[in-house]
Amino acid sequence: MAGDERKPPVRVARTRAKLVAVDGVDAPAVLAAAKAALAATTPGEPAARGGISRWDASGIFQDLEVAEEEAGAASARTLLLLYAADLAFRLRWQIRPALLEGRTVVAAPYVDTAIAFGRAAGLPSTWLANLFRFAPRAAERHVVATQAAAAAKDGFVAFASHHVNGGSDLRARQRLITQTAAILARPRPAARRRRSPRARS
Amino acid sequence: MSLSDQTALQRARRLARQRFTDPKRKRGLLVAFEGPDGSGKTTQRKLFKTWLKSEGYDVVTTKWNSSQLIKPIIKSRKAVRALSPEEFSLLHGADFRHRVEQVILPALWDGKLVIADRFLFTGLARDVARGLDLDWVLRLYQPLLWPDLVFYFAVSPITSGKRVTATRMPSFYEAGQDVTDVDDPVESYQRFIARVIREYESLALIFNFITVDAEQSIGEQHRQIRDLFLEGQRRPWSPWNIEAVAEWLAMNGNRR
Repeated sequence: MAGDERKPPVRVARTRAKLVAVDGVDAPAVLAAAKAALAATTPGEPAARGGISRWDASGIFQDLEVAEEEAGAASARTLLLLYAADLAFRLRWQIRPALLEGRTVVAAPYVDTAIAFGRAAGLPSTWLANLFRFAPRAAERHVVATQAAAAAKDGFVAFASHHVNGGSDLRARQRLITQTAAILARPRPAARRRRSPRARS
Repeated sequence: MSLSDQTALQRARRLARQRFTDPKRKRGLLVAFEGPDGSGKTTQRKLFKTWLKSEGYDVVTTKWNSSQLIKPIIKSRKAVRALSPEEFSLLHGADFRHRVEQVILPALWDGKLVIADRFLFTGLARDVARGLDLDWVLRLYQPLLWPDLVFYFAVSPITSGKRVTATRMPSFYEAGQDVTDVDDPVESYQRFIARVIREYESLALIFNFITVDAEQSIGEQHRQIRDLFLEGQRRPWSPWNIEAVAEWLAMNGNRR
């Protein structure tokens, strides 16, 4: 019909679509665990693998590194707002499209790493929970346990601990990493359903 | 010092209360100018600043989306139209937080008068007009820092549209083209600004803004703002601000 602008029907997603979260402070170990989780979730089915969604896919933190020298340091809150913006980008361009195609996607890291970092920095858990309300709950969650002192040479926790409030205090930086790892290692409370921040019309 | 150090936070709360409620000390004041594009806020802000300086105030100005750290990140993503409503909201929240910590709170602590050309209410109005939930957006801005006075420059969507399009074409996000799906920037702006103004009007009621009729002459508005400021500056410091100040102090190791 002329003028009919209805979109074509969306293909029905395959049932094995799954979001797997892998969290931890040691980025290389998190990546290795993500690869293993992806292979284990889709054994012998490369077509069902949506891939791994990694930190800073949006390039926000890369840009931040360039800007920071003159602009003044970022606080833990600022860094987490930026992490959330990066995660929203990953969800839009990597995670949701893969899930819609019925594939398994591993988010490494996902929400728990950022929340643990925020808790280690002393931020209220209610603020952190609200911040990540837009992120869907993962069907599977893994935490990579690490000897924190040797870890965090790369990835969000290392970056954030290095940059928070200027990061000049080496002991404070190491304490943040250790506390983040300890919080991640704690048993997690039962999952509650997250509400989308999109207003209901 | 970490924010998880409860003793440091308690000390910071005590210091904040002392600093902002000491009757012997001239305390910092925060005045926000809010309103849609084309409402004349910037003109009034400049006039107000000149007058305040002539009255002996030490004035600091901060503008929306102006953090040296975050602004370049937002600008490059706006240029390629790459932001979803959530990303738009979160990045502007980060910009605001960085300015609160680096510009606004240090100036208030030093007893200066801060004029904010747009404040967090801009984020709320625009993000809710983009379809986000007010509660989610408001909490992004916690711990909340409430201005001593909020002047809201009220204009109709038609006036805003006329004033903005008289000199330039609205940009993609300014026109809300990311959410209206309207190709023509002027038509999109008109639709989007109507939503933004509706949100502002709700916020004006909830948060008790001082509404200035921005359809009046520039001189009349300026006189009104001076009078309202002279009345309003005698208000006591809002204890709601204690958490924002305490967190900032503790973050800086109470080195103030």
